[in-house]
Amino acid sequence: MSEFWRPDDRMALENDHPRYDVTEKVTGRAKYSTDYYPDKLIWAAFIRCPYGVAKVTNADVEAAKKAPGVLDVQMDKMDGVYCGDHLGTICAESRQAIEDGIAALKLAFDIGEAKTDPLKQLPPREQWANFTPPTGGGPAGRGGGGGRRGGRGGRAASPEEIAAANAAATGADHMIEAVYETQVQTHCCLEPHNVLVDYRGDHAIAWGSSQGTFAYRDQLTRPLNLSADKVEFHCEYIGGGFGSKLGQTPEGVLASQMSVKFNRPCRVLLTRKEEQLDTGNRPGSIQYMKIGVSKDGTIAGGRMVAFGIAGAMSGGGGVRAVPRYKMTTPAVSSAMDVTLSAGGVRPMRAPGAPQYTYAYEMLMEELAQSIGMDSLEFRQKNDVDPVRQEMYKVGAELIGWKDRKASKDQKGPIKTGFGVAAGDWGNGGFGNATVTVNIYPDGRVEVLSGCQDIGQGFRTLVGDCVATTLDIPYTYLAVKVGVSNLPNGPGSGGSSTSRTVAPRAFLAAQQARDGILGLVAKEMKLPDASKLKIEKGMITGDIKPMAWTDACKLINGQLTYTTSDLPEGMGQNTQSQCVQFVKLNVDTETGVVRVEKIVALQEVGKPVNRNTIENQITGACIEGIGYALFEDRILNAATGVMNNANLEMYKCPGAVDIPEIVPVIWRSDPNSPVNAVGEPPSVPIAGALGCAIYNAIGVPVRKMPMTPRRVLAALGGEKGAVA
Amino acid sequence: MKTFEYLVADNLDAAVAEYGAGKSMLKAGGIDLIDRLKERLELPDSIVSIGGIGALNYIKQDGDAIKIGCNTTLADIGRSDVLKKAFPGLHEACASAATPQIRERATLGGNICQRPRCWYFRNYDIHCLKKGGDTCFSADGENEYHAIFGDGPCHIVHPSNAAPSLVAVDALITVKNGKGERQIKARDFFVMPDKNLYAENVLGPDEIVTEVTIPKAPEKSAWLEIREKQSYDWPLVAAAVVRNGGAWQVCLGAVAPVPWYSEAASKVLGSSEMTAELAAKAGEAAVEGAKPMEHNAYKIQLVKVAVKRAALMAAGMEAIA
Repeated sequence: MSEFWRPDDRMALENDHPRYDVTEKVTGRAKYSTDYYPDKLIWAAFIRCPYGVAKVTNADVEAAKKAPGVLDVQMDKMDGVYCGDHLGTICAESRQAIEDGIAALKLAFDIGEAKTDPLKQLPPREQWANFTPPTGGGPAGRGGGGGRRGGRGGRAASPEEIAAANAAATGADHMIEAVYETQVQTHCCLEPHNVLVDYRGDHAIAWGSSQGTFAYRDQLTRPLNLSADKVEFHCEYIGGGFGSKLGQTPEGVLASQMSVKFNRPCRVLLTRKEEQLDTGNRPGSIQYMKIGVSKDGTIAGGRMVAFGIAGAMSGGGGVRAVPRYKMTTPAVSSAMDVTLSAGGVRPMRAPGAPQYTYAYEMLMEELAQSIGMDSLEFRQKNDVDPVRQEMYKVGAELIGWKDRKASKDQKGPIKTGFGVAAGDWGNGGFGNATVTVNIYPDGRVEVLSGCQDIGQGFRTLVGDCVATTLDIPYTYLAVKVGVSNLPNGPGSGGSSTSRTVAPRAFLAAQQARDGILGLVAKEMKLPDASKLKIEKGMITGDIKPMAWTDACKLINGQLTYTTSDLPEGMGQNTQSQCVQFVKLNVDTETGVVRVEKIVALQEVGKPVNRNTIENQITGACIEGIGYALFEDRILNAATGVMNNANLEMYKCPGAVDIPEIVPVIWRSDPNSPVNAVGEPPSVPIAGALGCAIYNAIGVPVRKMPMTPRRVLAALGGEKGAVA
Repeated sequence: MKTFEYLVADNLDAAVAEYGAGKSMLKAGGIDLIDRLKERLELPDSIVSIGGIGALNYIKQDGDAIKIGCNTTLADIGRSDVLKKAFPGLHEACASAATPQIRERATLGGNICQRPRCWYFRNYDIHCLKKGGDTCFSADGENEYHAIFGDGPCHIVHPSNAAPSLVAVDALITVKNGKGERQIKARDFFVMPDKNLYAENVLGPDEIVTEVTIPKAPEKSAWLEIREKQSYDWPLVAAAVVRNGGAWQVCLGAVAPVPWYSEAASKVLGSSEMTAELAAKAGEAAVEGAKPMEHNAYKIQLVKVAVKRAALMAAGMEAIA
């Protein structure tokens, strides 16, 4: 084993404690918002456009209103601009009545020409090397990117800069000029977007599936016309959120409007088809890269042009470009978004990063190949980050990189490929959060945070912060999260939940510990508590050891500690580096890819709970397999209908598709802040898979998802390139 | 879905009578039907369920023949030692289909009678040829999963995993209506769209599939699917190869509107001893007459490989050399 990785070096708060809510979840006691069925419940839904571009020619609103159980029907507009677009709303006594009401509308449409092909909106391929976006279309970038690109305004690269970049590429010993394409990936939360709003005149209670308890509550205040203190929002349990449940919630607005209108609790629950059509997606991209390299592996620079593929109602197609490899002359980048007649973009786990990293890492692989250098050696030569340099060495051992062979040197149709890719994530900003710890005379400890547990294990995290600081058995702990009348916390976006809340949880726990030790000191008539501590549920020090429960009997009523303060040393901005290695097999006769093993090395700062951290890393790898190999929003070119708006033909990985995944918590640092782990491991995985496929078959597959069809096309000489 | 009356038959005669009255749709496991109801492709006033008739769930040997009741689930077949030994090709086709949960519900009768999974057919808002429209959207649309055999006018692929093995082995399908029952050769059971656009088999409107008979277990058999995903996915291409009465038979799945018996590949194999060269030749022969569309030419390569490997597997040889 390498000297750089010690299996035991994962301590800090290392405890392997299972999730606090595991029993609730597996027994069904955990109540999700759709488990609540109040009396007099009514339902509401959106009337949607089924085509990419369509004008309503018939909508029999009166007939729909007369359908049994229908309470309200309203057409808001007659022109739909994407498949799933909201044309109106309907409210009824039941889901069945909603469906019957929509059928009674007898909607008819004139179907227009949908924009489904991004290439039709782009300049001709031969102009891409010199492309600059129209006014305000995108910033110039430096050094293999230069920040997030696409639709953000900024200074466009000058013709002189572009000419110099092109010259740097063409003047090098070798040059790779390639186009990489990534597809649109839809959100596939297991629990659909849903909300139940119960308006009660002077206040309201709502239950929903959200990545932001407090933001959701605040949004409901407007249609309810209530102040925030009059709205109680619950999201104690959530069946997955990857960015689509962060921001806009038209469902919440509709449920509120109807609850107010009919003075009854109203639920909006999206169908699986609606989920696929209209809860946002990771935008697609077409990325042109032209980069030179010298024979010794020095990257010369060149051009990077990114076209983001956004939906009808939004931009946001930009790729998140982060320079990770040295270039002698910084690459000059340009970017522009195109829009399709299709559902819009929403944040998805490391927005913009996986699509850029796939292209960037494939390019590195091709550059290394062009000079005959081992692709790991190439990265080690050029990677700018010292942490990743160490990760390369460890990961290479764990994946067995020494067994890597060129495709042509392998016998038989099944070829083994190894790939590697790098990623990173900035941990900046520690927002606002408040944590309360209550201790009761019977020894019970209550930990309170209104922040939501989106499935990543937030409930476990805050519990662990307190249990580990107090060093008491977990059985004494009750952790309550995800309700807006609990202390304030951040939305779960940008991988900020843990790093924002954990420091406050530590601090509140320390204050609680000091409080209980102070009571013991007073009882024992010690001058102070400075020599007392809690060890494994016992108060020890200058006294006869006292059990935690006996110490708590000294409490009169309850002890309560609440803090919003950020402890010293827990608020500095850091980076979370990651490197991932992949080993896979490609059947070169069928193009089928089977992933055998993934090693994911992840910097997490101060690790709190190994179980949930490793779950995050593993989940990101699984999601990345789906992204790289299977998932694709397929639009009908003529009508803009999404052909595969279900989980049968929209292909997420299943159990047999999941390989051995080895998550490595990198060199835990107990003195570091708690860092991001939700998004960073999803950055490199598609790139690592693409590079491994390239190694296995000897040619790059430049278009995702890398299906058998595309692998065979690459092997057949088409190389998956567009235009 | 639209509301409907749900009738539960507790015996076959009652089901035949009710279904024969013509106002009900038939449901066994419901895997296919419920999808179509939810998408409002079907708006029945009533449904008669035969799923609870235990007497239709059996796998039994009758002399040389093996008889399988229509309500036998794919999971039951997967658990059958009889079929695993006597007909490994059919066993594997059923045991590897879909997901464990689906296999516990999906019946053999339903599997061979299910409607196509074509994404145009399955979408309420697309009025395709098969649903009475005038366009097969796959012809000029996204046809990566569509047919490479047959001349249309509809380019679905038949979705049954079990059917290719049944066609290859010359199975008989017993169907029943109020007037009695008849047996149809599996090869004659399925119909191409140029014969009937609106159905994939010859069943009359009052007929129920009650049993599948394998007259004699094949000497050898194998089933091979090539899929994108290994969990819960439909095959891109599949091949059933059996040796029956000394002669090799090849039938393909997921490449045509019916299970596609490959006369050319079967002829190449004839009654010969299997070799790697012969298997490869059968693969080449199997694509004779294929007419791929814009996005599915890759299936040609997959057919060649699937037939070659399935032939080798059936012969007990190494499939991937």
